[in-house]
Amino acid sequence: MQFEWTPEQDAFRHKIRDFLHTNLPDDWEKFSEHGPASPALTAFAREFCVKLAEAGILFPHWPVEMGGEGLGPWEQQILAEEMWIAGEPRGGQYMNVNWIGPTLQKYGTEEQKARYLEPITRGQSLWCQGFSEPDAGSDLAALRTRADLRNGNYVINGQKIWTSYAGLADTCFLLTRTSDDRKKGITIILVPMDTPGITVRQIPSLIGEGDIHEVFFDDVTVPETARFGDEGQAWEIVAYSLRNERLGIPRFTLARAALDRAVAMLQGEGRFSREYVRIEAARCAALCEAAGTANYAVVQKRVDGLAIGAESSSARYATVMAERAVCEFVIEFLPQALAGASPYLKMHHQRGIVAGVAAGSAEIQLNIIASDVLELPREPR
Amino acid sequence: MQLALSEDQTQVLDFIDSLARPYASLPMHDVSLALESADLDAALVESGFLDVLAVEELGPVTAALVVEKLARLPFAVEAAASAMVRPLIDPDLPRPLCLVEEGRTGGPVRFLRPGASVVVVGLSGVRSFTVDAGMIAAAQEDTLYAYPVAFLTGLPDAMTVHDVDAGEVLRAWRVAVAAEAAGLLGAALAATVTYVSDRKQFGRPLATFQGMRHRLAEDQVITNSVYWLVLRAAGTGDSGDAALALLHAQEAAKRVCYDYHQFLGGMGMTLEHPLHLWTYRLKLLTAELGGRGEQGLAAAEALWG
Repeated sequence: MQFEWTPEQDAFRHKIRDFLHTNLPDDWEKFSEHGPASPALTAFAREFCVKLAEAGILFPHWPVEMGGEGLGPWEQQILAEEMWIAGEPRGGQYMNVNWIGPTLQKYGTEEQKARYLEPITRGQSLWCQGFSEPDAGSDLAALRTRADLRNGNYVINGQKIWTSYAGLADTCFLLTRTSDDRKKGITIILVPMDTPGITVRQIPSLIGEGDIHEVFFDDVTVPETARFGDEGQAWEIVAYSLRNERLGIPRFTLARAALDRAVAMLQGEGRFSREYVRIEAARCAALCEAAGTANYAVVQKRVDGLAIGAESSSARYATVMAERAVCEFVIEFLPQALAGASPYLKMHHQRGIVAGVAAGSAEIQLNIIASDVLELPREPR
Repeated sequence: MQLALSEDQTQVLDFIDSLARPYASLPMHDVSLALESADLDAALVESGFLDVLAVEELGPVTAALVVEKLARLPFAVEAAASAMVRPLIDPDLPRPLCLVEEGRTGGPVRFLRPGASVVVVGLSGVRSFTVDAGMIAAAQEDTLYAYPVAFLTGLPDAMTVHDVDAGEVLRAWRVAVAAEAAGLLGAALAATVTYVSDRKQFGRPLATFQGMRHRLAEDQVITNSVYWLVLRAAGTGDSGDAALALLHAQEAAKRVCYDYHQFLGGMGMTLEHPLHLWTYRLKLLTAELGGRGEQGLAAAEALWG
């Protein structure tokens, strides 16, 4: 076992840091208070991701046949860490390189790959995930948005909710129901967001402006070729995607960076000498590092080409614990940070609320751990 | 970064499994509070498992893996101090090795018995002596320790002074205790999971109730992350990592011990089920090196000055 980064990995991290230093504006920390899906950050990301692409660090972890450099999971991790610590200047485009691109490559038709991969590689596309519905949140398989095949077209009717990025996205990775079979009746359709019949309403959120939305589909008609995978294959494809997504955002790194920032502020004010504050800060650091090592253990499995199972849920839950602890530390000892004393800590606090909810709720992760890691007998249904 | 077990490490752990097989389970109704096996101890010494730290291709991570593995056994083994701290001080110090903090020598000392090496670590450096019966307080009856424990009556006037940095010994000591705690946490969780999966109430296994499933799942998250923090601390040799690992382990121990006995219900109050062997050891480890607060202060000092 080796817990240090290789010189090549260190060099890669420094390359990204140097790039961020050069390409982020001086007022970036204040700017990043805009939500990750806000109009301001989305517009910024469209320029920033072009520069990333030009520098070869938009998708260096993708395989060579997809136009990447084939650098692998550790470099993907390092890239994600540095971006997230910096406040995610890629905005919603992080999803493109983490899971949408690889999922398109694995399950897409040649037409879909040709249409959607190229804009992703230019840093010019934004997707949203049409998953949750008013009556289908954690119970995703209860979704009811229908897609009916009529004369070579799918006609879509229904509603999605809490959809990130929907306000400005150009394409929706949409889960629809094509038959009554609970899981095998769900089908993915790639829907251009400018298709007539789509209405998007923003929901005010704690994360920042423009982040989450309701999306209504009224007789939205797309050709049959917009179907992604086979009818009924959505559950399999989403499971594949979420395995990437669950590790996708290394929130523990921002939590740790926020903690360091908070400690520095307390030190600056001469308030980091009291023992209870120091002990509480150390407890937060332990939770951040614990989440980090648990995540790295999962990345190692990807490096070794092993299937990633329920242990990613364990790593994810460890991350939720770290996020919460750091947010609680900041509000207890630096409440002024939420009122503008530290844009960075405010940004962390805004985004921290998402940790236990997005990409499968924390309680669902606990269910998965109970059944598939601990192998406890399942609850009766 | 490379977190997979090496072939050598897998082999060492497999060997320990074979060697420890006769000691892996206990007949019910035959479980005392503190359980030891001289035969197991002798077998471990003879096979060299307590000396892997000095073997170049094995090193401290393997030593931590060995300690974690052995802590899962129902029999208490003095492995942590011997395997992870002794090589730094003097690999030939007689076992068992008892580590005590200068100024805190009045507390319960695990594995203390005549002939043991007591190592005193503190501001005066690292000093040791071989303890004789006259320096050990009369045995107390009815103690609640799941380790063999005794108390020192004082320190001798003359001790062997070791030319080693006390801070470095403290670092290794923290990792060693955390590695032992990681194994105890793993074993206690496994024993609880087995029990609540078998035990039926209201016509179904207790483990099917979400009130229990979620708490056990959280315990798995914490137990897993203690394991990884311990290995990292062993691998980096960093004093901050060591303090964080033991802090997290002691936090975890505090969280799970009462939960697990609670989940076992009536059985959790008995000596018939071996759960206490791991939880009551964990309880004592929460007091090691001054407890969570001391590790927190040490970590804060290492991380932020």
